[in-house]
Amino acid sequence: MKVLIKGIWLLLTLLLLAGIYPQYAYEKFVAEHADQYLQVQKIKDCDVIYLSASSNFASGLARESDPRKISQMVADHFPSMQFEAINKPASHAGIHAALLEMFKENAEAKTFIVTMNLRSFGPDWIYSELETPLQQSTLFYNNRLPLVNRALVSLRTYDDRSVEERHAQRKSAWTNDPLPFDPPRNNVTDWCAEEKWGDWRNPKRQLADQFIKQYGFVLDASNPRVKDFDRMSALAKEEGWTMVFNILAENVETADSLVGKDLSSLMQRNTHWLIDRYDEKGHVVINNLERVGHEHFTDKDFPTEHYDDVGRRIIADNVAAGLARALAQKNSKHDN
Amino acid sequence: MLFNSLPFLIFLPTVVLLYYLLPHRTRWILLLAASYIFYGYWKVEYLSLILASTTVDYFVARYIHSTPSRFHKRFGLALSLITNLGLLVFFKYSGWFIEDVLDPVIGLNEVQLNDFRTAWDFLLPVGISFYTFQTLGYTIDVYYGKAVPEKNPLKFALFVSYFPQLVAGPIERFSHLHQQLFQRVSFQYSNLQHGARLILYGLFIKMCVADNVSPVVDQIFGHSTEADSLQLVIGMLLFGLQIYSDFHGYSLIAIGTAKLMGVNLMGNFNAPYTALSIREFWSRWHISLSTWFRDYLFIPLGGSKAGQVKLGINILIVFLVSGLWHGANWTFVVWGAMHGVAYLIERWVLPERSSRIGSALKWIWTMVIVFVAWIFFRSESIEFGAAYVGLMISNMGEGITLEWDPFLPSIVGIFILSDLLFRNRSIHVWLESKSTLIRWSVYALLLFFITGFAGTIQHPFIYFQF
Repeated sequence: MKVLIKGIWLLLTLLLLAGIYPQYAYEKFVAEHADQYLQVQKIKDCDVIYLSASSNFASGLARESDPRKISQMVADHFPSMQFEAINKPASHAGIHAALLEMFKENAEAKTFIVTMNLRSFGPDWIYSELETPLQQSTLFYNNRLPLVNRALVSLRTYDDRSVEERHAQRKSAWTNDPLPFDPPRNNVTDWCAEEKWGDWRNPKRQLADQFIKQYGFVLDASNPRVKDFDRMSALAKEEGWTMVFNILAENVETADSLVGKDLSSLMQRNTHWLIDRYDEKGHVVINNLERVGHEHFTDKDFPTEHYDDVGRRIIADNVAAGLARALAQKNSKHDN
Repeated sequence: MLFNSLPFLIFLPTVVLLYYLLPHRTRWILLLAASYIFYGYWKVEYLSLILASTTVDYFVARYIHSTPSRFHKRFGLALSLITNLGLLVFFKYSGWFIEDVLDPVIGLNEVQLNDFRTAWDFLLPVGISFYTFQTLGYTIDVYYGKAVPEKNPLKFALFVSYFPQLVAGPIERFSHLHQQLFQRVSFQYSNLQHGARLILYGLFIKMCVADNVSPVVDQIFGHSTEADSLQLVIGMLLFGLQIYSDFHGYSLIAIGTAKLMGVNLMGNFNAPYTALSIREFWSRWHISLSTWFRDYLFIPLGGSKAGQVKLGINILIVFLVSGLWHGANWTFVVWGAMHGVAYLIERWVLPERSSRIGSALKWIWTMVIVFVAWIFFRSESIEFGAAYVGLMISNMGEGITLEWDPFLPSIVGIFILSDLLFRNRSIHVWLESKSTLIRWSVYALLLFFITGFAGTIQHPFIYFQF
């Protein structure tokens, strides 16, 4: 009996503290560690949601005449529809899939555009040191009691690997994942070691190696990002959502000139693999891979998906066309 | 397996439950299996090292005990020393050798060095310094006839690998731990209560204090050239607090975990920042290591019975080796040397007894030495540490914008007060004197802090790397 009373006292005190907690500490914590949760919470009366990473943002370059994000440019094609965007730099399909779970039941929107960033399928991004905080943020994308979510973070119930562990995983993938070429191009490590543009101090050599590291992989169903997109696809089917996948433009021109056809063909091959897979699953997949020329990429010393206003507009126009196609398909299904 | 992780929170109750359900004679087998699972959970490969160390010391100790020849006994001891210290030197100091010796000679490029550093950080087995010292202590005890070697190799393996104190101590003596591991323990609520209190408080100071202080320390040490003097002083003080709360927290969880199963591990900390001398500091800080060095290095060197010069040399040797034990970097040597020299100054120059004002001055002296030495302990190089100390005195610039949790000062305040409150006694003893209502409210508050305010950036226990 005594133990029971003690237990009840402990529970009551904890419940009281758990009740006070969200008002004083939780929101600030979430804003710092999982701001996409707050972005989702703010969404009301919306038709389309655009999920992306840093690619959506304006570059901030002085020469830009149009400061709009890609999502805003797409929205302007559909003035009668309400658009919202959820972005976070370095975010990827694993995070987007977790966010989509929050829209289950009473979803404000029924149509989602999710960026497919080719680099995000590669080992450099999958085993990035940013992955740990991103994984941590996924614990907040639900409607559990705030103190429970925070406790799960405290107990590290997410994929909480150290930077060293992630680097080791990445190195192992670069060395052991086979590529469909003759040696030394049959894995990323050896391909990088291959003679090109002088020694490793040459900036061109460094950039060429970065391109190989970012795009040197072969997609298959076991890829973690593919699994994330599969999860999103299944969720969309389950909830009756319209899902549009937006394959972002990559700097194929530079990949070609620095490394050669092997790499650009690998990028194309992976892109087509994604289109076939998700087209088959009934989604609209928009291919922007080679739509943006080298001059419209704002980062010249590292492969990214950061575009100037012209680049963003090219992508937005293509996405808008794809979205129109997806909405038309949906309407025709309804009519039938 | 980290103590502050969900796997451990599942693992521990399971082991404790099975422990009390199993008949007494088979419990040690459970503990051995649990210990290997606990250690192998980090990396299965690590088990090979602990197995190697266990095997060598098992056979060597039995050989030393059975042979009548003094020469053979010495040979056995040398074999144990070479194996254990060899493993330690290989894993802890090869990196240092390559960077500080080989690189200047053959000239490795930055990419090669970086690759090497990454690989080496990843390979360094957790807790190797702790279990090698524990097994070394055993062999030395057998050599001096202070211990009779264990006949059963698996029972000996349990002594080496006992999971609560395997990766960061307290470093136990064979005579203290071995017997307890095989004693008949009946279920007692008081053991559970005692252990759980230590675990709860240990988790609080590790997760809420150390892990929240750590990002602030990283900001200051990472931008030391831009930080102003006050910020650098705060960085130094906070690092002292971080390393203490981190290691003290770990030790409390370890001691509490063992207590759940009726085993008393030795205390490792006792309010070290209240010490009035370096000598007292070392009787309150990492007690299991300082007594290990006293018994297995200082006394065999001649201890305090030798003349003053020999004594001074012995003390310096102990502190320098203690510094090196912490890691393969000259900064640890500087850290050890600072403590050693300060210890000798106290012994030879400063008066032993003093008035209240004298005691206050002694406390200030001790803390200045301890905290300035921490700067070198935290620094990547001696140059960095020296520059930090210089800037701390002279940098009156604008400073950096520090980001910290608004709750941090309150949490740190609670910890400092509680540490003073538990000086010379544990939280367990303090709670015993309180009413049920207060005790259970304290539990609820600790649980609340642990769940709601723990640090969020991954910071494994600092001493795992040693």
